[in-house]
Order: sequence, then structure tokens, then C-alpha cells
Amino acid sequence: MKKVLSNKWHIMVFVLPTVLFFTCIVIIPIAMSAFYSMLDWTTKTKPTLDYFVGFRNYVEMFTSKRSVFPDAVAHSLLYAACSVFLQLPFSLLLALLLARGVKGEGFYRNVYFIPVIISSVVIGQLWRKIYNNDYGLLNMFLRSIGAPTPKGGWLANKETRLWATFVPVLWQFVGYHMLLMYGALKSISRDILEAAYVDGASGPRMAFSIQIPLIKPMLKVCLSFSLIGSFKLFDMVKILTDGNRGTEVPATTMYREIFTVHHYGGGSAMAMFIVAECLVFTLLLNLIFKEQDQLR
Amino acid sequence: MKTKRFSIGQLLIQLFLVIWTVACLFPLYWLFTFSLKDNNEIFGGNVVGLPHNWIWSNYANAWGAGKISLYLRNSVITTAVTLLLTLLLSFMSSYGLLRMRWKGQKVTLTYLLLGLMIPMHAALLPLLGVLLKLNVLSTHWGLIIPYTAFNIPMAILIISGFIGAIPYDMEEAAFIDGSGIYRTAFTIILPMMLPAMVTAAIFVFLQVWNELLMASVFVSSDNVRTLTVGIQQMFGQYQTDWGPIGAALVIGTLPTLILYLCMSSQVQRSLIVGAVKG
Repeated sequence: MKKVLSNKWHIMVFVLPTVLFFTCIVIIPIAMSAFYSMLDWTTKTKPTLDYFVGFRNYVEMFTSKRSVFPDAVAHSLLYAACSVFLQLPFSLLLALLLARGVKGEGFYRNVYFIPVIISSVVIGQLWRKIYNNDYGLLNMFLRSIGAPTPKGGWLANKETRLWATFVPVLWQFVGYHMLLMYGALKSISRDILEAAYVDGASGPRMAFSIQIPLIKPMLKVCLSFSLIGSFKLFDMVKILTDGNRGTEVPATTMYREIFTVHHYGGGSAMAMFIVAECLVFTLLLNLIFKEQDQLR
Repeated sequence: MKTKRFSIGQLLIQLFLVIWTVACLFPLYWLFTFSLKDNNEIFGGNVVGLPHNWIWSNYANAWGAGKISLYLRNSVITTAVTLLLTLLLSFMSSYGLLRMRWKGQKVTLTYLLLGLMIPMHAALLPLLGVLLKLNVLSTHWGLIIPYTAFNIPMAILIISGFIGAIPYDMEEAAFIDGSGIYRTAFTIILPMMLPAMVTAAIFVFLQVWNELLMASVFVSSDNVRTLTVGIQQMFGQYQTDWGPIGAALVIGTLPTLILYLCMSSQVQRSLIVGAVKG
């Protein structure tokens, strides 16, 4: 049997097509992006070494006065903070309540997950209708109680546009984090919970000293998903505001730089920055959690 | 006394959970009623309520004039071929990487799983160049190729978690019976992997069906345009008649919704199994 399973020819047939395909369509293009990011490539120039400018694109996207990229990065960090400090705690609360075994547990769990599977196009258009200045649900409600509505509409007003863009994304993925945490909570052994109950722990005390510490590995997963999700944020912003001034995030800025402004070099530098951001935060998170484990 | 306090607490919890339920179900309600209204009702006359006249002809309009049937066909073709290719390649490579024995198995697996960490934004521009060179941009392959490549890592992650659990006795018995390695892999191991394949398939389906970024960059002709971008464009073009656009949204959402209604726990498992393993 060993002979058949280590036959080189068979192994090649099984593995090589995937490896080649993956290399050509995923790995090589990313390497090319890294190369493009160091070129002065626009509609007037060509992607060749003649236009090599080193790290100039990277410097310019952060220092040039016209560049909105620093704002975009700031927005994505702000979104990440909202996700970590609002979305995750809210999801955790839902998960804890459901895991306690309320009536209709399964029904709630299934319903809360629905927004996750619905296309961003649908969710985005729904929220545009909710936010609409003239006939939007939100303004109709505010007018009916005599409250002021933002000038120009929620998605255009300077004060509200960024938050109005964040809310739908935060809302959409609550169910996802809730389900991850719920699964982890449900896998805690009954013996532990019963022992804690006998010792007098219940409700919040049980949650904070028993359940939450025990699902820490899953909380780390949620944390890294919400951080990486923040840096990759694109669909909903594109649909809600097209990433216009004041609501831009790194991915929409990159998209515009490449496909509207045709600064291929600069856009590629932004793309590489997004990749680096994701990798750095994943590594940081691993380090933080490792350190905490060692402290114990 | 104690039981009474307990039930008030329970009541508050239920109230809270019901409010969030409404928040999650509202999009579906809105979507469905919106698709049956005319402009007068949508714009102010009757935004939230049930339609006064149930205009089912919106569906017929969306289907015919709005090109929805075309976009739906494109989405089905793109998703189906992507699914087939992704599952085939992922199963074969998982088999080769986890059940066969050779040097460099681990390195190759890590290399493929590297794809999980990389956002596809990073490859957009060069990939456009590659697809242009391959001359596939005006065909379904313009989306199928990148979708397959970017979904392979997750499919491998899901499949590889299951494939190790099958005992080697299976292969042993098959080989003794004179079955070759390909026949063994496809007719004995693959059927045993069905739950994992379904999990991977649902994940890939949702990714591909709802994808917007690549679909808006790699497609330039209506003949291959998929639902997400097609509907998104309708919002820009046909500003006169909103009901049919709502109908289009319903048609685009129905496949996902039916899938979820039929196998909700499977769908949930598909979307979180990767997270738990990774």
C-alpha cells in the first residue's frame, strides 16, 4: 500500500494542478502587485523597470496633500474600534443569553444569522432606503417625534456620514460573531457550570469568571476576524456612499486610485499596504494572546 | 417570590431577543413588500406597510426588461462551474497532501493555506492583466478562474479536517481488491467525504453568489454579468420604476434563502468551520 501512496507520478497528478493554478492566479499576481507598487505607472507610462521609483508611492500616499489614504486608514481603524468595542460585546451578550437556554433558543440563533448570508447589495440598498432624506424610515420616525434630521441626509451630512456607513456593517455581522461565541459557550462542559452554580455563581458572575475566560480562544478568533474584516471593508461602503469624501476606507480608495484615477503604481502600493496591515495585526494578536497565556 | 422575579428577568430577556429578531427579519419583510409596490407607495405613500395593491407584474417586468433572467443565468453558470472546479481541485490536492506520503507535504499545505491570509484586493490589478492575456474577460471564465483560485484555500482547510479521520484500512482493502489509486480516491474515499464536501460547497456558494468586487472589475459585458453587479447597476439606470428592482432583489436573494431554510444548521456550520479550524 505504501508503494501506491508514495508513487511520485500519482502524487503529481493529485497535487500539481492545484498548486500550479493557485500559484498563477493568487501568488504571482500578488508578487506583481508588490512590483507595480514601486513603479510610476499611469496611463502615460508602462509597467517596466524604466519607471522604477522605489518606495516613492508609499511615501506619497501618506504625505501628499491630495492623498486621502491617511483618512481612509484612520476610518478603517475607527471602524475596527467600533467592531471590537461595540459589535463584539453585543454579540457576546446575545450568545450568553442564548446559551443559558432561553425559550426559542434555536429559532433566535437561526434568525440572527440571516443578515450574514444575504448579499451586501440587498442589505446596502435597504439601508440607503432607511437613510433616505425625504422618505427614509429613519427621518420619518424622527419627524414624527419632532426630532431634527441631519442636513443633506444621513449619508451626505458631514457629521453623520461615516457613522451611517458603519452601522449596517456592524449590524450585519453580529450574527456571525454571536454564532462563533455561542458554539464555544455550548461546548463548555456541564460539570464545570454545575460546579460553579453549586458554589453560588450565576448570571453575570458566571459569565465573567467562568464562561468568558473559558472561551478565550474563540474570542481571539472573533477579534482577528473583526480586525481583518475592518481592513478589507469594501462592499457596503461602495454601495452606500461609493467611498466618497468623508467615508473612504483603504479598499475603496485603492479601487478609485486604480480604476478611476488610473494611478496603477499608487493603487498597488495601497493594495500592498492592506495586505501588510492584515498580516501585522494577525501577528500582533497572536503575540498578545501568547503573552497572556504565559502570564498565567 | 423567587420564581416571580425570575420570570420578570426572563420576560426582559425575551423582549430584548425579540427586538433583535425584528431587526434581523426586517430586511426580508421590507424586500418582499417593496417588490410588490409601485413608486407612489415606495416614495413616502406607504414605506413600511403591506402593499395596498399587490403588483405581481413587477416580477414579470424585472424578469423581462430588467435583464434579470440573463444575470440569474450568468450567476448560476459561474457559481456552478466554480463549485465543481473548486471541489474537484480541493479534494484531489487534499487527498494528495494528507493521505499520500511524500517529502514536502507540510510545506505545500502551508503554502496553499497562505491564501487564507491574503485579501484578494491585493491581486486585483495584476489579475486583470493575467485574465486579459488569457482573453477570457468576455466569457464566464473571467470570474470562474479567480473565484476558484481564491476559494481553494478555504475548501482545502475544510476538507483536510475530515479526510484524516478516514481509516487507512479503506485504501488497504481497495488496493488488495485490485482497485487503482484513482478509483479508490474517487469511488471509495470521496463518497465518505460527502459531509465535508457539502460544508465546503455551501461556503463557496455563498462567497461566489454574493461576490461584488471582482464581479465589478472583471466583467464588462451584460452577457456574463452576475446578479450582484447587475442589480447594483439597475439602481443607477432605471430610476423611474423601483418595484421591479425590488423584485430583482428578491429573485437574487431567493436561492440563498431557500438554501438556508432547508439546511440552516449546515449553512451555519459551513461559515464557521473554517474560522474554528484556522
